[in-house]
Amino acid sequence: MAPSRRLVCAARPFYARPVCSSTARPMTTSSPASAHGTSEAAVDAGTSKKCKPLTKEQREFLSAALRVNQAGELAATLIYQAQTPVLIRRHPHLRPLMKHMYDQEAAHLDTFNNLIHKHRVRPTALYPLWSVLATGLGWSTAVMGREAAMACTEAVETEIGGHYNGQIRTLLEMVSEWEAQGHDVTLEIRDLISTLRRIRDEELEHLDHALDHDAKKAEPHWLLTNVIRAGCRGAIWVSERV
Amino acid sequence: MPPLCSRGIPSPRRVLVAHTYQRAARCSAAGRRFFHSNECPPTETPFGAVEDAILAAAYRHVPEHGFSQRALGLGARDAGFLDISPSVLSYSPFSLIHYHLVTQRRSLASQSRQLFDDAKLQSQAQSTLAVSLDGRLSALTWARLMANKDTIHWWQEALAVMAHPSHLPASLNELARLADEICFLAGDKSTDASWYRKRASLSVVYSTTELFMTNDKSRDFAETRRFLDRRMDEVQTLGGIAGSLGQWTGFTITAAVNVLRSKGAPI
Amino acid sequence: MVARRALWSCTRSAPRPCLSFVANPCRSFSASHGRRLGPSGPTPTSNRETHFGYETVTESEKQQRVAGVFSSVAESYDKMNDLMSLGVHRLWKDYFVSSLNPGATNPIGRPQQILDVAGGTGDIAFRMLQRAHNLNGNPNVHVTISDINPSMLAVGRQRSLALPASHQSSLSFLEANAEVLPPSIKDNSLDLYTVAFGIRNFSNIPAALREAHRVLKPGGVFACLEFSKVDKFPLLNAVYKQWSFSAIPLIGQLVAADRDSYQYLVESIERFPSQEEFRDMIVDAGFAVAGEGYEDLTGGIAAIHRGIKPL
Repeated sequence: MAPSRRLVCAARPFYARPVCSSTARPMTTSSPASAHGTSEAAVDAGTSKKCKPLTKEQREFLSAALRVNQAGELAATLIYQAQTPVLIRRHPHLRPLMKHMYDQEAAHLDTFNNLIHKHRVRPTALYPLWSVLATGLGWSTAVMGREAAMACTEAVETEIGGHYNGQIRTLLEMVSEWEAQGHDVTLEIRDLISTLRRIRDEELEHLDHALDHDAKKAEPHWLLTNVIRAGCRGAIWVSERV
Repeated sequence: MPPLCSRGIPSPRRVLVAHTYQRAARCSAAGRRFFHSNECPPTETPFGAVEDAILAAAYRHVPEHGFSQRALGLGARDAGFLDISPSVLSYSPFSLIHYHLVTQRRSLASQSRQLFDDAKLQSQAQSTLAVSLDGRLSALTWARLMANKDTIHWWQEALAVMAHPSHLPASLNELARLADEICFLAGDKSTDASWYRKRASLSVVYSTTELFMTNDKSRDFAETRRFLDRRMDEVQTLGGIAGSLGQWTGFTITAAVNVLRSKGAPI
Repeated sequence: MVARRALWSCTRSAPRPCLSFVANPCRSFSASHGRRLGPSGPTPTSNRETHFGYETVTESEKQQRVAGVFSSVAESYDKMNDLMSLGVHRLWKDYFVSSLNPGATNPIGRPQQILDVAGGTGDIAFRMLQRAHNLNGNPNVHVTISDINPSMLAVGRQRSLALPASHQSSLSFLEANAEVLPPSIKDNSLDLYTVAFGIRNFSNIPAALREAHRVLKPGGVFACLEFSKVDKFPLLNAVYKQWSFSAIPLIGQLVAADRDSYQYLVESIERFPSQEEFRDMIVDAGFAVAGEGYEDLTGGIAAIHRGIKPL
């Protein structure tokens, strides 16, 4: 199987629950959970007294994580949005798949928008740039054909999956550190971890779909995927900072 | 944005020594705009216990003595410290101004709760406060401006100190944090580029109105209130124009692409 | 560099710059004084290991060797600081003293007791008297200059003769080890404790900080001006490192024919803890700090640390 699929295995030791293959997952996304809330209400809800306030490094990490995730989901949404009309014009049978993937991405974006607001994280300053670049990427790969579009999905989702796994790993390390010290782990962090897991699984599901739809047959596959993956890594690096 | 008054222009000698203001100091002392945990908010206050005791006591002398060494000295004495004690603060007079900025910003949260709860209670029909974002932004900005009321006769001087090159980064940072706080408390939920636009325009509106207020002799700052309303209207209009322009561009592009598609272009 | 015999007249008219870049081969008073312990004798931990530049030595040996360095550079001390900091140390010291603002009391004229540790040549003390007496109109400010090294104190004494009589009468000199201050300085007796470009030469810095905490009144202020780290500005740091490691020992050799002492100074700066670490040491000694607890000067080449003894 494609090396990218091993991403799921790589993170397995950290899971609390076993991860099953994409087929077992329902095809609909649950609506973004519980992200709304005014500041006052949320403060009042703070019940656990034994929790440990986040350190500066942890807050920096979480800010960068939410910011880059929002930017990533924005890009994913726009990529699918740009690909869809071009693709289904030539391959009408892809309509349900594209709609399904787009809907999931849109839900992810909504989730992160809410989290960004709730935790008062600054969105990326390059929002307009990412919008233009993502639309351009989606459109141009779609024009290159079905295989290229799927290879684009493969490359993007591979990077994103690994990226989410890294975040989950760091968060779990934080949690186990707190637990070792006898601190309560706040609900918001637990929710964040489960949200990231769910989204990561859905992204990897998109990766499976892309592979099932001949992503590997794109010409030249290695060039296309490597360029896109390098671009993703660059964008992640920048978005974490700006 | 504090104006660059002539008093704020320092001698080259002072710049050389004091330009060395390090970002880290002030920014992290007050906690930068990082991930905010609602369930487990950070316990640390921006000021240490001793620092807070001296500054809080000195702050009570500001209406009479300004943001000055003298106010700090009197405050230190009130709090039971020595005459030399305030020198533990870096940038003495600025630290007092900074204290004012931080404490007034932090008190906005409780003010907003009062403001909007009351508004909800009386209003339904009559008050737009509860419904419109712009109304809430305006109300909070006004509340923050009124917090300068007692020290307004010292405020031009304070602005000059804030505009000093070694204090400017901290002052601008504090302005940005104020704009962020007001936007958040007003319930702004934008998470795209307009996040920046709203905060930037609010910063401009706030700082110009603040400057206007230092020269306002009218009763209850009525002139300032009108000035603020005009600026808010302008921002709204400009924002509206920018928004419509963006919409129009997007629509035109989509339409053009669709026309080409309908002609059979493979795009 | 003027001929050695002319040095007295030169230092007497204190900060007059008297530089010429002629090597002086007959300058060799480095080992004449200095191989002696501080006036308070060995500290309780004199056998513990510490750093002398990049070498690891025992604390008592460091004391002796630092004494050697400063005896050898005592009279070219100003020049040394000028070279190390390109003359900016004068501005740093001015700023240091003006930010502490000694003598500003309420009502005017309340007495203040100041101890300037490692202040041999009087740089800080004279500025403080100037500020307190002339600017703040408070003649009741008394400054004690303390130094472990008699050669440095001698330079300060000599220079103080040029001060106005009122300043001279508010000044006293004390030969003392900052880690074990003599009983003449009582607990809770000082308003202000300053140490400028001295603390990195101490063998046992935490002990000196605890001693400072002991002698200060509650509410009294500890203030330290010292070379520090430029880590926040990598480019400036690279230039600065290049300057200090290549140029300074070389200039030391040319100007003072004493490469080793200057090499030590550069290495001791490199060895000194970062701003944050030193701030934490101050806090550990029982002081409270305000804000970050330090203030960088010129990007961190030097830094001012301040602490206050809580009530």
